[in-house]
Amino acid sequence: MRHLLLPTIFLTVALLGGVRVAADTRALLFVPPPLVTLILAAMLVALFARGGALKVGRWLSADLGAAENVSHALTLGALFFASAQAFNSVLPDAGLPRLVLASFFLWTLWQNQFARFDARRLLRSLAALFGTAFVVKHLLLASLGDPEGGWLRRLAAAALEGVALGGPAYAASTGYVSFFALALYVLGLFLLPPAPERDVDESRAVGLARDLKQLPARERALVVEELSRKTEEGGAD
Amino acid sequence: MRQSLIQWVGIAWTILYAALVVWLYAAAPQSIAEVRTQARVAAGTYEVDRARFDAGRELFLREQYAAARAEWERADPARRDARTQFYVAYSFYRQGWGRVYSDDALFKQGLEAVDLAIDLSSASPLTVEDAELKMHTAAELKAELERGLERTADDFNPLKVFRERK
Repeated sequence: MRHLLLPTIFLTVALLGGVRVAADTRALLFVPPPLVTLILAAMLVALFARGGALKVGRWLSADLGAAENVSHALTLGALFFASAQAFNSVLPDAGLPRLVLASFFLWTLWQNQFARFDARRLLRSLAALFGTAFVVKHLLLASLGDPEGGWLRRLAAAALEGVALGGPAYAASTGYVSFFALALYVLGLFLLPPAPERDVDESRAVGLARDLKQLPARERALVVEELSRKTEEGGAD
Repeated sequence: MRQSLIQWVGIAWTILYAALVVWLYAAAPQSIAEVRTQARVAAGTYEVDRARFDAGRELFLREQYAAARAEWERADPARRDARTQFYVAYSFYRQGWGRVYSDDALFKQGLEAVDLAIDLSSASPLTVEDAELKMHTAAELKAELERGLERTADDFNPLKVFRERK
C-alpha cells in the first residue's frame, strides 16, 4: 500500500489541487503551488512529525534497504506536495480574502509548533480552516464573480464595496475538483501509517521451510525443538 | 524478492506519475484535446493533419485567409510545424497587404508566425517550394513583413500604388 497506493493518492492531490476551470473559456488552468502554500505545507508536515502522526525516523532509517528508503522518501515528498496543493486549492488566488485566510493558516500552524501539542485540537482547527477557506473561495467568492448571481451577490458586493477581492472567475466545476482533491487528501492522511511496518521477505521463510523438509526426521525434530525453546525464552523475556 | 519487486515498481511508478504531474503543469494544456496533442509532441509522434493542411491551402489560394488559418490551426494545433506556420504568416501578409498602406496589426501577427516558423526550422533555412507563392523562404517573408511595418519617407511615394503583392 505505502509503495503504490499512497504516492498515487498524494500525487493525484498534487495534480488536482492546482486545477482550475476558467469561467469564460472553460479552459483548464494549472496553478503551481505559490510560496506561501509551500511554507504552510512544510509547517504542517513538521506538525505531523511533532505529533507522532509521522515518525520520520522510522520512514527513513539506516535499518531499511535502499529501495525501501527511496520509496518512503518519494511517499513523503508526495505528501508534502499534496499538502501544498491542498492549501493551494482552498486559498483564494488574490486579494484580501487570500491574505486573511493565509494569515489564519499561518497563525494556527505556527502556534502549534510551540504550544503544548494537542493533536485533536489541531485537527479540529485545521478542519475548520480548510472548510472556511473552501466555502469562502468556492461558494462566496465564486457567487460574487457570477454575473447571474441573485440578491446574495448584490448584498455581498455592496457590503464588500472597495475591498480588493481579486482573482479571476472560475467555473463551478473548479469547486468540484477542489472538493474531490480535499477528500482524496483526507483519505491519504487516514491511510498513512505513523511508521511503516517492516517488509517481511516471505520468500526467505519459504526457502528455509523447504530446506527443513529435506532434513532427516530426527534432525528436523531437533531444529523444531531448538526453535520452540528459543521462542519460549523470547516470550519469558 | 516479491517485496523488493513491489518497492521498485512503486519507485518507478511514483517517478513516472510525478513526471506526468510536472509535465502537465509545465505544458499547461487548456483542454483534454490539448493534453493529447501535447502528449504526442512529447512522445515525438506528433504529425500535421495533411488533409486539413491541404484544405487550408485551397482556401488560401481562393483568398479566404481567415478560413485558411482556421484550417491550419486544426491541422497543426501545437504549432510545431515550420511549413504550416510559414503559410500562416504568408496568409497574414497577403491579407494585410494594400496598395496604399498595409494593415499593421495583421503584419505584426504575420511577423510573429514567421518568427515561430524560423525558430521551428532552426536546423536549416526554411524553404517552401510552392509555385503559387512568390516568396519561398522564411527570411524573404520576414523581410517583407518588416518592410511593411516600417515608417519611411518612401511611404509617401505615389508610385507605390503600382507595386505588386508577392
